Amino acid sequence: MERLINIDRRIIFVFVFLGVAIPLLVDIHLPIKPTPTVRSVYDEIERISIEDPDRPVLVSFSYGASTVPEMVPMTRAILRHLFSRGRKVVGICLWPEAVGIAQPIMDELAAEFGMKYGTDYAFLGYKPGQHAVVLNLGQSVAGTFPFDTAGTAIGDLPVLDGAKNLKDFSLVFDFAAGDSMEFWWIPFGQEKHRFPFAGGCTAVMAPDLYPFLQSKQLVGLLGGLAGAAEYETIIGVPGSATAGMEPQSVTHLIIILFILLGNTVYFITRRRGGTV
Amino acid sequence: MTRDRYVFVGFLALFLSANAILVANSSLALDWDGIGVMVAVGCTLALYSFLYKDNALFKVAEHVYVGVAAAYVFGITWYNSLYGEIIVSYFDIGAEGSTGGGHNPWVLLFPTLLGLLMLTRFSRKFSWLSRISFAFVVGVGAGLTIPRFMSSFLLGQLEPSLAPLSLSWEGLNLFLVLVGVITVLVYFFFSVEHKGAVGHASRLGIWFLMVSFGASFGYTIMARLSLLIGRISFLLDDWLHVM
Amino acid sequence: MLFLTRTLPFLFCFVFGVTSWIIYYVPHEYAQTIEREFALWLRLVFAFAYVLGLVSLLSLHWAKIRQRQAGWAYSLIVYISFGVMMLFVVYNDGNGPFAPQETTGPYQWTFINVHVASSATMFSLLAFFISSAAYRTFRARTPEAAILLVSAIIVMLGRVPIGAYISDVIPEAMQWLMSVPNMAAKRGILLGVSLGAIATSLRIIFGIERSYLGGGDD
Repeated sequence: MERLINIDRRIIFVFVFLGVAIPLLVDIHLPIKPTPTVRSVYDEIERISIEDPDRPVLVSFSYGASTVPEMVPMTRAILRHLFSRGRKVVGICLWPEAVGIAQPIMDELAAEFGMKYGTDYAFLGYKPGQHAVVLNLGQSVAGTFPFDTAGTAIGDLPVLDGAKNLKDFSLVFDFAAGDSMEFWWIPFGQEKHRFPFAGGCTAVMAPDLYPFLQSKQLVGLLGGLAGAAEYETIIGVPGSATAGMEPQSVTHLIIILFILLGNTVYFITRRRGGTV
Repeated sequence: MTRDRYVFVGFLALFLSANAILVANSSLALDWDGIGVMVAVGCTLALYSFLYKDNALFKVAEHVYVGVAAAYVFGITWYNSLYGEIIVSYFDIGAEGSTGGGHNPWVLLFPTLLGLLMLTRFSRKFSWLSRISFAFVVGVGAGLTIPRFMSSFLLGQLEPSLAPLSLSWEGLNLFLVLVGVITVLVYFFFSVEHKGAVGHASRLGIWFLMVSFGASFGYTIMARLSLLIGRISFLLDDWLHVM
Repeated sequence: MLFLTRTLPFLFCFVFGVTSWIIYYVPHEYAQTIEREFALWLRLVFAFAYVLGLVSLLSLHWAKIRQRQAGWAYSLIVYISFGVMMLFVVYNDGNGPFAPQETTGPYQWTFINVHVASSATMFSLLAFFISSAAYRTFRARTPEAAILLVSAIIVMLGRVPIGAYISDVIPEAMQWLMSVPNMAAKRGILLGVSLGAIATSLRIIFGIERSYLGGGDD
C-alpha cells in the first residue's frame, strides 16, 4: 500500500500528459453549457449594441505570456463578438507583455470584419502605473494615452471622438491575469464613474471575483479556459477553448481518481494501524 | 556515458530528426516562421526536461528566458513611457502629420526628477535621495487607496450582504451569505478568545473558508491544466501537425 | 542631515498622502486637476522603477560572474540573451530607438518564439507538480479537510463538460457552491483585507510604518 503512495512522480506526469494528449488527438465532443456569469457578458454586449451603439468599448489587456493559453481564446471570442456587432473598440494594456500578444490579435480580427484602424478601432499601447493608469483614464483618456503605438496623437483618431474619459465608453472589459479587476479597475475606476464593467480572468482569479458579481460591480465574468469555451459556444464560433474542454475533462477525472485513490490508501492504512 | 547523457543525446537526436522530417515533408517551412516554431518547440522541450530531472538544458533555457524577458519589458517601458511619453513631450516629437499631443514639459519636470532620484538607490553616498521618491510613491498610493477601498470594498460589499431576506430559495441563499460573511469575520477576529458562542461561530466560519479554498484549489488545477493543454496543443498542432 | 534622510521623506509621504486622500471628497476642478497630476506623476515614476528592477537583476548576475560563484556561466547566458534582445529593441525593425515601436521584426519574433513559449511552458510545469502533490498529500484527515476535498471535486467536475455529462446536478451544485458559500467566504476575506489595507495606509501616512524607507544609516 505504501508503495502505491510513494510511486515515482514521473508516472503521474505520464498519466497527466496522456490525459491531455489523447483527447486532443481523438475526435470526441462533449456538449458545453454556458453558465449565467458568462451569459451575462454576452447579454450586456448585445444590450449595448442596441441601446448604446455609438460609443466605443474600452478593452484592457492585463495579462502576460504565461497565461496565453487561457486568455487568448477569450480575447478572440470577445473581440470577435464586439467586431461582429460593429462596435468601435479601443485597446489598452496595463501589463507590458500584453502589447505583443494583444495587438496582433486585434489587428487580425479587425481585418476579418473589415474594420479600419483609427475609425473603427485603435490600440493605444501600454502605460506603467497599474491603478494610476485607471485613475488617469477616469479623468482624461488623452492625458493618459497621448499617442497610440504608432505615434499618432489621440486627437487624430476618430474612434475616440467624444470619448474624453471612462464615463464615455459604453462598456469597459478587462482581460485580467492578476488582480487588475479587483484592485485597479473596481476601486479606482468603476467605483467613481459607474460604467458597465465586465471581465475575463484566469481560473485562479475567478473564485475571488464572485463577490463583485453579486454586488453588481461586475456585470459578468469569463473564468479561465472553460469560460472562454462557453463564450465560443454562445457566439457559435468554436475555437481552441472548445477544443481544450475534452482534455480538461479527462485530466480532471484523472486527478480526482488519483486523489480518491490516495485517500483510500490512507484510510485503509490508518485502519490497519500503519502510517502513510 | 552515463544514463542521463544517453537520454540527453537521444532527446536531442529525436528533436533534430523530427524537425528534419517536418521540413522534408513541407509541414514546416524553412523561413522565419518555421524557424520560429522550431525555436519555440526547443525552448518548450528544454524546459519540460525538468520533469525528468533538473539538468543543464533546463537551466540554460531558463536563463535565456530571464534575459529576454528583462530586455523585452525594458523595451516596452522605453517605447510606451520613457521615450513615448517623457522624451516625446520634452522635444515635441509627434508622428508625421500628427497634430501634436503629449504633456506640457513643465508638468513632467517633477516626476522626471523623482524618477531619476529613484535611480540613486545604487549609489552608496546618495542612496538617501531615493527615499524621497519612494515616500512620494508610497504616500500617494496610500492616500489614493483609503477612500476608494472604503467605498468599493467596505461599503460596496456590505450593502449587498445586508439585502432584505425573503421566504424563497433566493432569500435562503442571501441568509447563508450573511451568515458566511459574519462567521468568517468572527474567525479572523483574534482579539477575543474563540470560546463558547464565538468559538462555534468561528468553527462555522472555518467551514465556509474550507469550501472557498476547495473551490480555489479546483479552479487552480483547472488553470494550470489549461496552460498545459495550450502547450501540448502547440506541440501537436503547430509543430507536428497531427491534430 | 537627519532632516534630509528621515524627516523630509516622512513629510513628503504625509503631505502627498493626506492630499491624495482629501481631494477624493472635493469635486472642485482644482482638486481634480491635482488628482490627475498625481496619477500622472505616479505613472511616470513607475516607469523609472522598471529601470531600477532591471539594474538590480543585472547587478545580481554580474556579481555572480565576477565572483565566479556556482552557476556563474548561467548568469553569463542571462547577459548574452539580454544583450541580443536589447540589440533588437534598439534596432526597432530598422527605425531605431527614437521612433514609435514597430510590431514586426526580430524583437517581436524573439518575443513570440522565445519569451511567450518559455513563459507559458514554465507555468504549465505546475500542472504536473500540482497533480503529483494532490495525489501524495491531499488527505481528508479532518472534517474541514473533507469539506475542502468535496468542494474541490464538485468544482473540478462541475466546471468542465464531463460534469454535466455525468449528471445535471453537478454543474448546478458547482454554481451554487461558487455563488453562495464561496462568495460569502471571499467577501469576508475581502472585507478583512480592505480593513488591513486601510489601516496600513494610515500607518504609512502618519509615519508609524517606515519599512518603505529601507535600511541603511538614518
